[in-house]
Amino acid sequence: MLELTPLQWAQLALWVPLLSAVVLAAVWPLRKAGGPAAGVSLVAATVNLAAAAVLLFGWLNGAEDVRHTAPWLIGGQGLIELGVHLDGVSVSMLLVVAVVAWGVQVFSLGYLADEPKAGFGRYYTWQSLFLFSMNSLVLAPNLLQLFLGWELVGLCSYLLIGYWFTKPSAAKAALKAFWVTKFADMGLLLGLIVLYTHTGGFEWTATTTAATTVTLLFFLAVMGKSAQFPLHIWLPDAMEGPTPVSALLHAATMVAAGVFLVVRAAPLFAQAPLTGEVMTWIGAFTALFAASIAVVQTDIKKVLAYSTCSQLGYMVAALGSGAVLGGYFHLTTHAFFKALLFLAAGGLIHAVHSNEISHMGGLLKKLPVTGWTFIIGALALAGFPGFSGFFSKDLILEGVAHQGQWVPLAMLLVGAFLTAFYMGRVVFIALLGAPSEHAAHAHEGGGSMKLPLLVLAVPALALGFFAGPVAGLWGHEYHFHLGWVGLTASALGLAGIGLSWVMFAKGGAQGLLAAFAPVGALARSGAVDRLWATGYRQGLQVLGGAIAWLDRYVIDALMNLIGYLSLALGDRLRAVQTGNVRDYVYAVVAGLLLLGAWGAMFPG
Amino acid sequence: MMQAWLILAAALFSLGLFGLLTRRNAVGILLSVELMANAVNVVLVAFGRWHGVADGQVFALFTTAITVAEAAIGLALVILLYRQRQDVLVDAATEMRG
Amino acid sequence: MLTDHLLSLTVAAPFVAAVVLLLAPDLKGAAAKTVALMGAGASLLGALAVWINYDLSQGGLQLAEQYPLVPAYGISLHLAVDGWGVALLLLTGVIITTGVLATWTLEHREREFLVLLLVLVAGVYGVFVSQDLFVFFLFYEIAVLPMYLLIGIWGSEGKVERGGPLGFVWDKLNIGGREYSAMKLTLMLLAGSAAILVAMFAMFHAAGGKSFDFSVLQGFDYPEHTQLWAFVLLWFGFGSLGGVFPFHTWSPDGHAAAPTAVSMLHAGVLMKLGAFGVIRIGMMMLPDGAAYWVPYVGAVAVLNVVWGALSAMAQKDLKYIIAYSSVSHMGVVMLGAATLTADGWNGAIYQMVAHGMMTGLFFGLVGLVYHRAHSRWVPGMGGFAHAMPGVAAFFILAGLSSLGLPGLAGFVAEFLVFLGAWQSAHAWWAIPGIIGAFITAVYVLRVGRDVFFGQGPPATFHELSDAKGSEWAALVALGVCLIVLGVYPNVILEFIAQATSEYLPLVVKGAASGVAVLP
Repeated sequence: MLELTPLQWAQLALWVPLLSAVVLAAVWPLRKAGGPAAGVSLVAATVNLAAAAVLLFGWLNGAEDVRHTAPWLIGGQGLIELGVHLDGVSVSMLLVVAVVAWGVQVFSLGYLADEPKAGFGRYYTWQSLFLFSMNSLVLAPNLLQLFLGWELVGLCSYLLIGYWFTKPSAAKAALKAFWVTKFADMGLLLGLIVLYTHTGGFEWTATTTAATTVTLLFFLAVMGKSAQFPLHIWLPDAMEGPTPVSALLHAATMVAAGVFLVVRAAPLFAQAPLTGEVMTWIGAFTALFAASIAVVQTDIKKVLAYSTCSQLGYMVAALGSGAVLGGYFHLTTHAFFKALLFLAAGGLIHAVHSNEISHMGGLLKKLPVTGWTFIIGALALAGFPGFSGFFSKDLILEGVAHQGQWVPLAMLLVGAFLTAFYMGRVVFIALLGAPSEHAAHAHEGGGSMKLPLLVLAVPALALGFFAGPVAGLWGHEYHFHLGWVGLTASALGLAGIGLSWVMFAKGGAQGLLAAFAPVGALARSGAVDRLWATGYRQGLQVLGGAIAWLDRYVIDALMNLIGYLSLALGDRLRAVQTGNVRDYVYAVVAGLLLLGAWGAMFPG
Repeated sequence: MMQAWLILAAALFSLGLFGLLTRRNAVGILLSVELMANAVNVVLVAFGRWHGVADGQVFALFTTAITVAEAAIGLALVILLYRQRQDVLVDAATEMRG
Repeated sequence: MLTDHLLSLTVAAPFVAAVVLLLAPDLKGAAAKTVALMGAGASLLGALAVWINYDLSQGGLQLAEQYPLVPAYGISLHLAVDGWGVALLLLTGVIITTGVLATWTLEHREREFLVLLLVLVAGVYGVFVSQDLFVFFLFYEIAVLPMYLLIGIWGSEGKVERGGPLGFVWDKLNIGGREYSAMKLTLMLLAGSAAILVAMFAMFHAAGGKSFDFSVLQGFDYPEHTQLWAFVLLWFGFGSLGGVFPFHTWSPDGHAAAPTAVSMLHAGVLMKLGAFGVIRIGMMMLPDGAAYWVPYVGAVAVLNVVWGALSAMAQKDLKYIIAYSSVSHMGVVMLGAATLTADGWNGAIYQMVAHGMMTGLFFGLVGLVYHRAHSRWVPGMGGFAHAMPGVAAFFILAGLSSLGLPGLAGFVAEFLVFLGAWQSAHAWWAIPGIIGAFITAVYVLRVGRDVFFGQGPPATFHELSDAKGSEWAALVALGVCLIVLGVYPNVILEFIAQATSEYLPLVVKGAASGVAVLP
């Protein structure tokens, strides 16, 4: 084992992926070779994983927090610094990112094996860049660096969603994701500026009277990044990217950055009860809203995407009610089981070459590893007792109940029921249902596609039992205790699974499907989407057109008018030039006489 | 004495001006301009004498040189005009009308 | 010692190359371009030498040279460089060198083209290092005037839709033609110059009529009413070159008509002369005028940002889009200047450099696309990334810098400007500024998508190919600059902050004169 200080490990985690990205971007023969490029990126991901593991091990054994900064900008009020901050929060998130990223990169080896070599190399370049960006976000010693990483992961999201850039829908989805998150990021930028003006720095520990303004502005960015209603619209579209990308960015890590920001800036958010209230309501509503849309989706990735929205809503609601431990723990467990679900879904898609769950069916027998790991992930997501999601969701619900937020709590409980129901639906149709003809030749992917699933299944299954030490990392205490809220949630979850079994495995209670028809209609109409699209087309574009028209036909026309008037005046005056020399002579003499007369009239 | 010189200069100048305004022949106009210029020369020399300095004569030599150059260019133009139009009447030459 | 004459050598290098080209009519094609490249490269080396030789710990004006020109009026060729000058010299060196590289494909009267280009850039260098207002103005005009010929002779025709209440003017002026664009640009900028001239002489006389030297004019306490009207003249005069609303309308036509290297130079460096003049002459010499007018200057700058961005959104001609985006980004410079804060001023100068590099890259790329596609009409394009992946990558890079993505130069500049804006007396300026950056994200990336992404290019484009040889050199150089400036801003920010800390107290009484120093 190398003898390195924690700081050196952290720098390894930060710089090695960056080095890999730079090398792959600059050395194009290597990138275009495909396989070797993936090799470089994987080495970086592995080093990153090792570094993260060593760091986490150190912090589980009570290592001292480390903070190292270096000046980056010369500000009017002093130097503005960037650096590395190592504590339980950043170290644990670092490992989550490292594990999922490593798993995704390994999985992609098999999943994207048929891609053209240049594209394959490009994919791994962006993967490395993402790893660096996410690490710089996680290790940020202040909110400015968090913002830098935040924007960079947004860029990686844009690049990776648009990986198949020749597909117009992918190019469009990439743009939409970038626009929506960039729109929301204006809040974070402005919030940082307000914070700096009030406190002279970007510290999350600052105390300020402007906390409410700052945190509300931050929360706008959180809503964009973590896909909260009504800024969730980009996430389902982001599924245009390759499935492993969805697993890494749009399920496990990048979208969780919003939640991570709130966890980091918890001292600031604690000073703003109003923001907390807003967060609880929006989070709870998103959890319910997105879960009900997930119920009617037929595309397996869309189900998971809406499910991600919904689960992020849980985290946001928890953080809003001050249940930081619950929110952050759910972020952690969700990262593992949702990445697992996405990767397993990728395996299923890879096998049948379709995203439709109706095109799958009975796949459990043909793809046992993928199928069983999917079921593990689904149970964790549904909050089945004993699985990781059960513990974290329980913490969230307890936290919201503790605050006496009864309406949000009810929404979250109904959401829990729906979660179990839609996951049951996917499992019963895609894995256990009658085989479809699309699935005739389905078979398991290679080792590279199985290994990550097995690795991720372990924390999805068992992380809940390590809630105590994990909470200790973050300076919290955790004691398992199942109150009436938890019992209700578990009962609702089991009921959801049961109902889905009745409806989709046994074909009973079909009348209930009609109950979801309005939700389906709403989801298909894309009302929220349309609202934003209208804002963009009728608002921004029309405004742009009007301004451009004004610029050209009024402002510029005035300038042209001045030119035109000069020309017109010259046109009149040219008559003076008769061409007759004697006329000019008369004019000269007349001028002379006038001058003389003037001189005589005003002597001196 | 000074007055006489000035009257002479004024007379010369007026003669030139009259010629300038009435002549249609380009050569005549040129001659009239020369008259006016020489009227100025007379004034220059006269005032130089009056002040008892040589400046007037120096300036007069200057103007003479310049007038010569001007006459050379003017006559060249007149010759070109003649080649073009077979006459030197300025009223007819209005090609430069704007 | 070479360093004794470093500044005059830097200014003279492109001029010497121009004279060589002028005296050797046999130099044609690659030979002429090589001479031009040597002149440009020498000036870039000069700028780098200035950057190395400038002693930060000392600050102030350095590498001074002074040669009397007209002693009776106190006019002398007084050259010296401050921290701002260091940054702006580097920008100029990079842009002219890459500009020459990017026009390697030019084949029409290239010798004359390069002569004018080099004379122009000598003027730009001169402006950034002049410490004498008369010489400053002289260089300023040298930089502006060749533009008329460069656009009028080597420019391209634009397609302009007629209409509007004053549509009858259109035919008369032949709007859209390159002569029109050249004439419009020259006339509008000369109108500005006339205003500058008036203010300049007013200041000269008010300050005793003994000297045009900055040190004399700058320290003088002008009467308040002189300050008030002279500042407006300077703001209009320099502002018309800096793309200040509503005197920005030469920019879209001019940039669209200009050939590649000229667009790069004009948007990349020349527009900065305008903003630089407003700060260096207007604000620093007339502090009371600045204090009085700053609220309006800032409000107009904010309008510039949003107006330019929204106008860019509605354009369909690639060059018009970039030209309007320049108007928007120059608004950020003026906004930073108007904040009268250290962060704002640092950001303003930084934005000059960042936007110069970024827009240089943009115009270089657009020229490259135009050269191959023979069209700038965005709706007709699509899928170009198949044929020119490198160009597509650099276009996205430039776009990301222009929308202020961290890690690229644009972010540092905009961040500092917005920080300054919020600290100024008019905090609200930051909000439209940030919205402008968002609108930039909308139109820049949309253009990137419309031109480069999607299925293969339409069949009408059959000559598409990726960048070659010298074009690569230009693109990579500018791209690397954008990244370096974004990742490690102190390469030039140290210098900029040093000068700001010396100059800001001249304008704002009681402003902190210290500067945070890197360990």
